[in-house]
Amino acid sequence: MKRIFLSILCLLFLAALPAGATEPTARSIIGDALDQMRGQTSESVNTMTIHRPDWERVMTIKGYTLGREYSIFWVLSPPKDEGNGTLKRENEMWTYNPKVNRVIKLPPSMMAQSWMGSDFSNDDLAKSDTIVEDYDHNLTETKTVDGKKVYVIESPAKPRAPVIWGKLRFEIREDNVLLKEEFFDEDGQLVKTMDTLEIKTMGGRVLPTTWKIYKADVDDEYTLLVFDEVKFNLDLPADMFTRSALKNPPR
Amino acid sequence: MRIDLKMAWRNIWRNRRRSILTILAIAFACLLLVFMLSFQFGSYADMIRFSLRIHTGHLQIKAEGYQKDKNIRKVVSDPGAVAEILRAQPRVSDFTFRSNAFSLLSSKNRTYGVMISGIDPVREARVTTIKNVIRRGKYLTAGDNNQTIIGKLLAENLKAGVGDELVLLGQARDGSVAASMLTVTGIFSSGEADMDRSLAFITLDTFNRLFFMRGAVHEVVALCQTLNDVKPAQAAVQRAVDGIDSRYPLRVWNWEELIPGLLQGIKIDFFSGIIFYLIMVIVVAFSILNTFLMAVFERTREFGVMLALGVTHGRLTRLLLLESTFLCIVGMAVGITAGALVTLYFQQRGIHISGAADILKSYGLPEVLRPRLSWVTLISGPAVVFVVTFLTALYPALRARLLKPAEAMHAV
Repeated sequence: MKRIFLSILCLLFLAALPAGATEPTARSIIGDALDQMRGQTSESVNTMTIHRPDWERVMTIKGYTLGREYSIFWVLSPPKDEGNGTLKRENEMWTYNPKVNRVIKLPPSMMAQSWMGSDFSNDDLAKSDTIVEDYDHNLTETKTVDGKKVYVIESPAKPRAPVIWGKLRFEIREDNVLLKEEFFDEDGQLVKTMDTLEIKTMGGRVLPTTWKIYKADVDDEYTLLVFDEVKFNLDLPADMFTRSALKNPPR
Repeated sequence: MRIDLKMAWRNIWRNRRRSILTILAIAFACLLLVFMLSFQFGSYADMIRFSLRIHTGHLQIKAEGYQKDKNIRKVVSDPGAVAEILRAQPRVSDFTFRSNAFSLLSSKNRTYGVMISGIDPVREARVTTIKNVIRRGKYLTAGDNNQTIIGKLLAENLKAGVGDELVLLGQARDGSVAASMLTVTGIFSSGEADMDRSLAFITLDTFNRLFFMRGAVHEVVALCQTLNDVKPAQAAVQRAVDGIDSRYPLRVWNWEELIPGLLQGIKIDFFSGIIFYLIMVIVVAFSILNTFLMAVFERTREFGVMLALGVTHGRLTRLLLLESTFLCIVGMAVGITAGALVTLYFQQRGIHISGAADILKSYGLPEVLRPRLSWVTLISGPAVVFVVTFLTALYPALRARLLKPAEAMHAV
């Protein structure tokens, strides 16, 4: 009896030990990578290219973020869509259209729809800050690419987490640069992939500056997101992330 | 053989009352089957016709893949060319154009994701019953006018009434944002909950502008002269549209492919009907079995005498089977005739369901239900009755083989 008790204690102790004393945990690697791209606050200008076999569309977007929870974006071009905005506060999203001058909250039924016709869903934006909490993170592999360590992390969704993906898989470089993110459904099938195509130093940080998002089952369809400018840790006004601010797009 | 026929016929009329009662039982079963089957098939035909008139139509022409993902870019880019083909097709009686986009519709405080459908108000009213199911306000008027008619459940969800303004927010064909204020001019209630909850109509002209369709549409909805024309028309139109040069090849869908649930529902109803008929036939079979058995027991003495006179057992069995066949044929003849007459009478006159007429009418359904007599409904029921009766009659007929002449003659 005593021996069984001891061996259980032993097992528990072993399981509680971190994989390696010097290695960071999978959870902190992901948290650091997300923070690297946002800082406490950030201001950015992106060019988003939506490519389809018969059609292509380029948009310029200006965005601000505060922590992981708040963000606001406006379309700068094309002129036809200028001023259309999106506000995200925690899990909720609002959209603004200057033509009808109304702010509309996105209903839950719309969260799986694509954002601005891209390969991002509204959910991808709304749930991005809860990735750390909603999934379990396991470091499955550490490889070396171009002399730098790359962590491969598999993150199955927690059983009751309100998320649409069954599993995520990340590749993150040791300097907190996200190289690849893959999205799997509940059956473990790959649905879409986000690749980092270019890494630059911008706003004083090493960042993935060109992303390509594409679905697994279609050819020749992707969304390209390029960071043109990024600034970090600015002093943003406190009412920056409100519905009334959404109605006043930057000129 | 001739004498056997004569004897069988005479034997039937020896006990006139019992034979007439048996004949009537068979006749009544046949009459009921003929009428019920005709009525069932008649109401199915009406059901199909009227469900299809609500929204679906008989045929729809769409770009390949659109039926599956409703992608706004998968369009029928030249609706004029399709119209040309449909006009030349004699089996097609009318058609209309539609475009659809999943969008946000927002009242003051509430927002719902709905299917926005652009329709040609004049053509749509000819093809579907939408104009008749407007409950409040008015139907759309033609032109680019930012009017909308919305389903009753959607209106309740949005807490919007006639005259209220709604904000539409969606994505146009070129990927840009489609946004506009719409005025609710009417509220419809089709009776199809899905449609009343999640559909809003605007004019095709308004849709064209907001969603940047450049004259393209998503579906061409066609009606055929009769339901029997659907399949041949589908094949002919498919052949013709294959000749249209378009980025997405066009595909013609018939109503069975568009709403498979309708036919399945009918099949389920039909099979539950069949079970009811089987029970009825079994009840009739038992009453006939009773009659035949009684006849054999009563006539034991008579059979004994016949056997003693040299009639073989085989001939006796044949005689009994002939008797039951005669009863059955007479019963069927009476039943089929009466059934056909009753059915034809109601087919002419229709069956009015008192009190329900207004409700039926308000959903565009016929106020009068009509059975429809066909060879299938006339013959199939009585045929089953014939087979079952014959099988039932086998038992007493075969029992007669066990009789021994001496014993049988002494039976009381």
